[in-house]
Amino acid sequence: MSALLELVCPAGTPASLHGAVENGADAVYLGFRDETNARNFPGLNFSRPELEDGLLFAHDRGCQVFLAVNTFPEAGNPGPWHKAIDDAAALGVDCVILADIGLLNYAATHHPDLRRHLSVQASASNPDSINFYVDAFGVKRVVLPRVLSIPEISDLNKQIAVETEVFVFGGLCVMAEGRCQLSSYATGQSPNINGVCSPASHVRYEEDAGNMVSKLGDFTINAFGEGEPAGYPTLCKGRFVTAGKASYLFEEPTSLNAASMLPELAKAGVTALKIEGRQRGRAYVSQVVAAFRRAADAVEAGEAVPELGLENITEGQAKTSGAFNKSWR
Amino acid sequence: MFSSTMIPPFSPVLLGGLAARGLSPKILQPALRHAMKTIFQRHPDLFERLSHMGAPVYLIDPIDLPLAFVLYADVHNPEIEAVRSAEGVNACATIRGPLLSLLRLLEGRIDGDALFFSRELVIEGDTEAVLALRNTVDGVEVDVMEEILTAFSANLPRPLSAPMSAPVRLVARLGQGLFARAADDLSILHTALTAPLQRRVDAQAAQLEALKGAPARTPSKPRAKANQRTLREGREGAQI
Repeated sequence: MSALLELVCPAGTPASLHGAVENGADAVYLGFRDETNARNFPGLNFSRPELEDGLLFAHDRGCQVFLAVNTFPEAGNPGPWHKAIDDAAALGVDCVILADIGLLNYAATHHPDLRRHLSVQASASNPDSINFYVDAFGVKRVVLPRVLSIPEISDLNKQIAVETEVFVFGGLCVMAEGRCQLSSYATGQSPNINGVCSPASHVRYEEDAGNMVSKLGDFTINAFGEGEPAGYPTLCKGRFVTAGKASYLFEEPTSLNAASMLPELAKAGVTALKIEGRQRGRAYVSQVVAAFRRAADAVEAGEAVPELGLENITEGQAKTSGAFNKSWR
Repeated sequence: MFSSTMIPPFSPVLLGGLAARGLSPKILQPALRHAMKTIFQRHPDLFERLSHMGAPVYLIDPIDLPLAFVLYADVHNPEIEAVRSAEGVNACATIRGPLLSLLRLLEGRIDGDALFFSRELVIEGDTEAVLALRNTVDGVEVDVMEEILTAFSANLPRPLSAPMSAPVRLVARLGQGLFARAADDLSILHTALTAPLQRRVDAQAAQLEALKGAPARTPSKPRAKANQRTLREGREGAQI
């Protein structure tokens, strides 16, 4: 926690955890292999023994481990979520990342010494909301929704007495986080409760006259021409026909990359930088973590942020600074 | 191999595959069986992450080889088989791409999503099964070359296995270097051969763009006539 900007990195498998730790992560965040976290993808995440091994590996190298329990419990069935928090405390994770007020209350009541961070899924973006979570549940850090500009983050940090963490790289959601119903509308499953947006079980790719057509449930999401970079099959990144013209109505397939803004984020009082991508492979995790380690170290040394060269691994092979720089205003 | 639309890269793999087109995939079977057995012994939890799916079967299709592989991802008894045709293969999903990309994916040296975004990897069938396999393989930390070398050393007579280990690794490393150099040379050759065609395509594309931006020209005489007709019709109308 001594770094000026703490680097919080994703791990979907033990191999990714090793890659993140070895490439300079200050903390790694991960989830159990079930619906208690928002990346409940097939073949992904950690069993309890794998988390135990991961904790040893990371702690031996001075890296912290955060456990995301950031979905909202199914009505009448809080058991798996409570067990995830109990096991996190028993195994010795460094913090739990929570969104639901019932779970925050459960953790604060049953495991008061277990550090609590507020997940981006809680969508707390103003002082009143954040101060409520701090006062009621003793959260120590808030992961800010990806809707704030840097001046807004700076103003916000002056009005709250808690650390802030912001996403600086990776996939970008364009809606009020934790409230999105697009995936649920199309498939009956959502990241908020089931832990998976646009579940792979509902995704199909078909070839049509040289185009690659992606479908989610009964909806055609996109048709990529030959050689055109592809994106995730989510409704928010779909290309739809309106007034006879196909276009990206919500958001183009693109990744957030705020590397050049790290000095401004440091000045705005941000504590930690979060890299999205627990669903990505260990090659991606290693490459992105190493690049942002160089960037964060450069900021700490008062040097210019170097060119990171991450274009070829981003969604749609394109990047955006998202809401940090609201050029549409 | 089985794809009609993906174009294989011009590489030593493609040339090697063309040269070996007449050979039966069956001659690979003992080596494949041994490789899978060795990897499974070293990583007994290889397909544990797929256990909830039963024993899914995948068709792995390197587009630069004249054969494909069928992976039986049974948690307790995984197998791999080389086939010449997909006929009769009851796979839940197919994964297509250049052999080297598939190997890099297997070793976790390249990100599957990045390959997919760049359209270097194509998947068909059960997307969930493909994603589960990708995550499973990525989490295991397999080093293909190391697995092969270890298997090779272990199969040598005992007095030879230890002393031969270092020379075998040296030869393998030299081989990797030669392969990389051959791949670079072929890439240069490919660029040189296609450069004139590429220049012509670029010029045509530039012309097309210029035409798109130019204002539409309409013949002046017919328009003048049309205007006169309209005026006349207007006057006639006014007279009525």
